[in-house]
Amino acid sequence: MLTYVIRRLLVAIPTILLLVVASFLMMHVAPGGPFTSERPLPPEVLANINAQYGLDQPLWKQLWDYFYNIVAHFDFGPSFVQKDRSVNDIIAQGFPISLTYGSLAFLAASIVGVGLGIAAAIRHNTWIDYFAVSLGIAAQALPNFIMGPILILTFTLWLGLLPGGGWNGGQWQYLIMPVIALSTSYMGSIARITRSSMLEVLNSNFIRTARAKGLSHKAIVWRHALKPTLLPVISYLGPVFVYVLTGSVFVDLYFSTGGLGQSYVSSALTRDYAVLLGVTILYGALTVIVNLLTDLAYAWFDPKIRY
Amino acid sequence: MTRISRLTMTALLSSTMLAAGITAATAATHPETGEELAADQTFTYRLLDDISSLDPQIVEDVDGSAVSRDLFEGLMNQDEQGNLEPGVATSYDVSDDKLTYTFHLRDTAVWSNGDPVTAGDFVFAWRRAVDPATASPYQWFMELMSINNAKAIVAGEKSPEELGVKAIDDHTFEVTLSQPLPYFVQMTTHSTTFPAPQKVVEEFGDAWTKPENIVSNGAYVLTEYRPGERIVRERNEKYWDNEHTILDKTVALVITDENVALTRYLAGELDRTDVPAGQFPRLKKEHPEEAISFPRLCNYYYTFNLSDSGPEAFKDPKVRQALSLAVDRDIIANNVKAGGEPPAYSFTPEAVAGFTPPQSEMASMTQAERDEKAKELLAEAGYGPENPLSFDVIYNTSEAHEKIAVVMTQMWKQKLGVQANLANMEWKVFLDTRGQQDFDLARGAWCGDYNEASTFLDLLQSDSGYNDGKYANAEYDKLLAEAKTAEDTTPLYTAAEEIIATDMPVIPIYHYAGVYMMDSDVGNWPTENVEQNWYSRNLYKLAE
Repeated sequence: MLTYVIRRLLVAIPTILLLVVASFLMMHVAPGGPFTSERPLPPEVLANINAQYGLDQPLWKQLWDYFYNIVAHFDFGPSFVQKDRSVNDIIAQGFPISLTYGSLAFLAASIVGVGLGIAAAIRHNTWIDYFAVSLGIAAQALPNFIMGPILILTFTLWLGLLPGGGWNGGQWQYLIMPVIALSTSYMGSIARITRSSMLEVLNSNFIRTARAKGLSHKAIVWRHALKPTLLPVISYLGPVFVYVLTGSVFVDLYFSTGGLGQSYVSSALTRDYAVLLGVTILYGALTVIVNLLTDLAYAWFDPKIRY
Repeated sequence: MTRISRLTMTALLSSTMLAAGITAATAATHPETGEELAADQTFTYRLLDDISSLDPQIVEDVDGSAVSRDLFEGLMNQDEQGNLEPGVATSYDVSDDKLTYTFHLRDTAVWSNGDPVTAGDFVFAWRRAVDPATASPYQWFMELMSINNAKAIVAGEKSPEELGVKAIDDHTFEVTLSQPLPYFVQMTTHSTTFPAPQKVVEEFGDAWTKPENIVSNGAYVLTEYRPGERIVRERNEKYWDNEHTILDKTVALVITDENVALTRYLAGELDRTDVPAGQFPRLKKEHPEEAISFPRLCNYYYTFNLSDSGPEAFKDPKVRQALSLAVDRDIIANNVKAGGEPPAYSFTPEAVAGFTPPQSEMASMTQAERDEKAKELLAEAGYGPENPLSFDVIYNTSEAHEKIAVVMTQMWKQKLGVQANLANMEWKVFLDTRGQQDFDLARGAWCGDYNEASTFLDLLQSDSGYNDGKYANAEYDKLLAEAKTAEDTTPLYTAAEEIIATDMPVIPIYHYAGVYMMDSDVGNWPTENVEQNWYSRNLYKLAE
């Protein structure tokens, strides 16, 4: 098991390297640069600035220096746009925020989604099922960029209950709307997947055997059906966890949380090369780790994979 | 709790309440206008995006400059109308050849750490601004100010120590120019020219603007900075004119989406926000006291590509005239933008100080007359149903730009039978494409760097870096060069505008307006300052 984990982690390193090189090259191919502006800089000024940031070097040298600084000093370079801040600063400030509301949204989506899905499957074709299914579809039909404005209109303008945005160190009032906005659509999908998976499992042969053995409905559902039901859900949850962190750009935009999603998109638009690369590496590493965890969870849930 | 400590508590509490009561009472009315002031002197406004830097020599965005003006103070300030008023300098002398300016600094000006603000801090800051090692995107501003040797230092030919600035003594700062510049002193209100605390910058290097390190000399100090969320600045008790500062605190909230910002304004979380395009009439009706619009020093236009890569048709001034005439600016200004923007028939906005752009022939015509003339001109140029004119129009992706582009091309199609194909581009791609003359007709806009007509007219000089249409007219260049040192610039600028009206290298569409939702309890917002250089220390909050 341990060798498996180590092997997977070692394979991850070239994957991330490739990701960085590809992003780096794509970034430089995109027209314009970090210092292209409405007010074009005089050539000598542009030359000074490019020299200061090392952008006058050949691409391979820039890439080499970039890797060198990361490995030798764990320094991801300066931001080209937010001139007072380094990429390390930006990630250190934004990532904990994204991680906080992202994890909460992930928990909310998984717990409520799985709960709804199971309830719907157990009470198949009853009002509970219909209710859960319609709730799931409604939630799925409302992506976070629609949920955001609706929530702000409702809770801030009409009811005056919650602040319309900000983070304030992660105080609960500031967390509610971002978490709801981010979790609902995933909640819907999770509920749907759980429901259909559970229905399939309940109709399978080993459950029929369990029933024939005279086991109680409760024991069948919780002891025998739950684990196999969750398998497809888990394979969906892995990517969702990464999505709630990366896809949080709308939450950052609408709720001014100061999270990292905003930096990801704005750095691409402003050609803030260093920030874009830094965040890409972070999300790449995160994806690799989450995929590994998903596979490990799989093995734990499904004996067929383990043995 | 013992009896004694309870008594002490009561005494403490009542004395605190008493103190609070006194503060409230003394802050109750405005010393000049006598208006009743609010107890909470906090102004909260929306920022579209995070600022580029807190470093005055490096900051390049409008919002960042507003923060810089609160935290730092330069030689001169602007008042509510945009006129000069003393800042750190109490007065200045100009030599007879107009090449040497001597500024006399007040001895009461101190940094927030208590150190005096000296001429040396200005020398340090100005050298820093031109030093290639600082990599300031505003190095060129020092060149524009014509400071001696600035150009050579930026080009790496001389060292920053050779810049034409000198500290005669702690309170006398001398600047030498390479050529006389009539609006030199106006330029000292710009953040690039603000002083920098040498000791702090040298001690912390790039980290000197971190909230825990920063030392500033303005009316406010930075107390909280959460990137992407908020910037808070609070009264600087050590500021030399602190007793006249009324506003205690200014909070800038980063809210990228303008509609969310409007919602939060309506929910009472903001005192000021921008009005999204097209919503002004509705908001004005619902909140007549709060929806405000006033002229700004910016223009919005379309530029023809007149370079070799541009379409052949645009080389004919008649075609350019025809296209410009057929654009009904009233519809764009009143129905599309709808925020009180004045339609533009000149390149320089009317709001500019010291110059009134001449009334062009086009401006005095009715739209029906313009359309008629446009048809005639286009026919004369040889375009019509048999030989239809067709070209591409580019603009950067934005709802407001798109609406205008669509309306404009429809006007050309319906009135002139012209086929204009629209293409929108992401911002940086757009700038790159336009900068490489890879277009036919492109959107452009400019906000004045200083309140003088040359900040606009210079753009169309043949060697201007912003002249993406590559318009070149030797006579025009000559007029602008003469204006740099002329006593009376009006006839020169008027002639320049007349050349633009004839040659029509650009289609001016409208001039900007500041369109805000502003809480009616905000006092003294400088609506007459067309550059919108506002200072928190001039604002106050009225009692509701």
